[in-house]
Amino acid sequence: MKKKLNLAPAFFVGPHVILFAVFILLPTFYGIYASFTKWNLMNEPVWVGLDNYKTILFDNGSTFHTQFNNGLKNTFIFVLLSVPLLIVIPLLVAVALEHKKVKGKSLIQSIIYVPGLISISAGALIWLLLFNKQLGMAGNVFGSDVSWPANQPYAWILIIIITIWGGVGGNMIIYRASISGVSQDLYESAEMDGAGTIRRFTSITLPSIRFPLIYTFVMTTAGAFNVFGQPLMMTDGGPRQSTHVLMMYIRQLAFGNGESIAGMASAMAVLLGLVILVISALQYYVMNRNAA
Amino acid sequence: MLSTLLAGCGEDNSKTITFWTPLTGDDGAYMDQLVKDYNATNPEIKVKHVITSDMYTKLSTVLNSGKGVPDLTIIHADRVPGYVKQGALEPMTAVTAAQPEIKQENYLPQAWSTGTIDGTQYTVPLDIHSNVMYYNKDLLKKYNAESFLDDNVVTIDEMLSLQGKLAEGDYVVNDALLGWVILGQIQDLGGDIQENGKPAVNTPVMKQAFENVKKINDAGLMTPFGEDGYLMFQSGNVLFSTDGTWSSTAHAGVEGLNFGVTNVYSPTADKFTNRSSSHLFSMMKNKDRSEEKVAGIGNFLEFIRENSIEWAKAGQIVASKQVNESPDFKNYMQSFFTSSEKEIESLYIYTYEYYPYIAEAVDTYCGDIVRGNVDIDETLQTMQKFVEDKIAEGTGGAAK
Repeated sequence: MKKKLNLAPAFFVGPHVILFAVFILLPTFYGIYASFTKWNLMNEPVWVGLDNYKTILFDNGSTFHTQFNNGLKNTFIFVLLSVPLLIVIPLLVAVALEHKKVKGKSLIQSIIYVPGLISISAGALIWLLLFNKQLGMAGNVFGSDVSWPANQPYAWILIIIITIWGGVGGNMIIYRASISGVSQDLYESAEMDGAGTIRRFTSITLPSIRFPLIYTFVMTTAGAFNVFGQPLMMTDGGPRQSTHVLMMYIRQLAFGNGESIAGMASAMAVLLGLVILVISALQYYVMNRNAA
Repeated sequence: MLSTLLAGCGEDNSKTITFWTPLTGDDGAYMDQLVKDYNATNPEIKVKHVITSDMYTKLSTVLNSGKGVPDLTIIHADRVPGYVKQGALEPMTAVTAAQPEIKQENYLPQAWSTGTIDGTQYTVPLDIHSNVMYYNKDLLKKYNAESFLDDNVVTIDEMLSLQGKLAEGDYVVNDALLGWVILGQIQDLGGDIQENGKPAVNTPVMKQAFENVKKINDAGLMTPFGEDGYLMFQSGNVLFSTDGTWSSTAHAGVEGLNFGVTNVYSPTADKFTNRSSSHLFSMMKNKDRSEEKVAGIGNFLEFIRENSIEWAKAGQIVASKQVNESPDFKNYMQSFFTSSEKEIESLYIYTYEYYPYIAEAVDTYCGDIVRGNVDIDETLQTMQKFVEDKIAEGTGGAAK
């Protein structure tokens, strides 16, 4: 008997595959191609082989080399400062919200989640006003006489505050959903065996949610490497270029004030993509092995 | 049937002038009104105003593909040399031939000439928008500094004379549009940003310009780095704000802010410069633009020349002489800058091909230089290299 072709799966998966191919896959491959060219967006790209990469990685006298190194260094600082906080704080909040004695869980969750829905530009304006030395809370309430966006380490603190403020909610929701799925029997048995709060957390909660933890850790890290809006809005890369992250340089080169330098920008973007790929793979490998 | 339906949903593009602008702020609404007023005259071809955020990026995309190129655009003055070099701009020859009043004599000279490259006219100006200096009348009175405005030029020395005389929390000037201020100071000092077509950033004049402004900061008279100096002016803590013509509407909305406008401060009263730019109507290369549409564009631009008083509401200096010399225009604060030949001359627009890179370098580093966070000589070298490297990479496409 002739087997009937079932087109239903293709019907459901097809649109996603098409959108993924058109808006992610093709631009990615075109971006990689562009990284080997000299291109100003207006004219046809001219193939230059590895020239852009050589300049970025090895030409010490070049502005692009300096910008790449400075941008990558600042991006790493942001990742190291923000990622642990974006993992630990939502986890602690999620655990706390799962406690029986906490009332108004939905309201608290909403309050924590809502900042993530506000655009970075609007959030940045709010925080800049709050930390305005003369007009805001920083000076008037805390008596601070420092211009936060213009001095380190305050500039980084300000950027991290707005990042945590807007970023805690997403991971918290994932952790809450995972923790609520852990069998209460396990906690009750452990409690009967005399396990305290910390022991129950380390021996039951953490192992039970290891996959969501790996997922959020990898995704949060990858997201942090792409940071752009917070330093742009809060400090514009200053003071002394110390918060000028790599995505800001890439954006500036590709679509900045002057003529586009899209080939060089693409090469920087590819290098950043490789860094994210390697670090994500390492994270996954180490965490998955430890969790096994 | 599907094609009929789709055709019904769309519109006849041959009867519509697609007009892209980057006017994402309040000024977009004023342009909307101008377009609405024009369409109300029942022209044969109507104008469709499309406010396009990130317009230059989108223009690159459509120009590259050749599809969806708008019939008419508004671009900034500093884009003209680059676009002409890349062959992206259509000359306005047909428009000016069909509309005899669209000619140099009928517009502010700087605004018109930014679109003239090698004798060909590529743009028709809408406005000049300039760096200006607002002053707080109450604070000037409080500090007995009203005499600073006697000759309409506030000098750096006059500003420095207030050192040690201000109450805590008050400042003489803010750092709004600091990069524009520096570029104005270069003209005041008789310098330029190019020498024989080559970018000239690391120059004695540039250094002097930075040092002059730095003097004000070093005397504790400039709003602190990182604070919102624009907002501090609006809150009544700053005597002078060096922002733009377009800010007048926002300042006017602040209750109790008693303010006026004058020229940006200068080293001497003999020479003063208000670094400016211009919004220009232009036609990007588009093989599908019909002669009929070009004629329609001509009609629209002539309407704007005669009726753009609406644009003054956006705080801009309207380029059309018919409008900026009209009694109505005198009601607007920015008419100060067309009140005399000397004022008109003070509106300086950079037309150097690589100006955007130089402006980017100045904007990137000016804050740290003026605040003394970095070594000035070393940073000027970095800025020069910054511009040279970008020029070398940015112009190397197929358009050699």
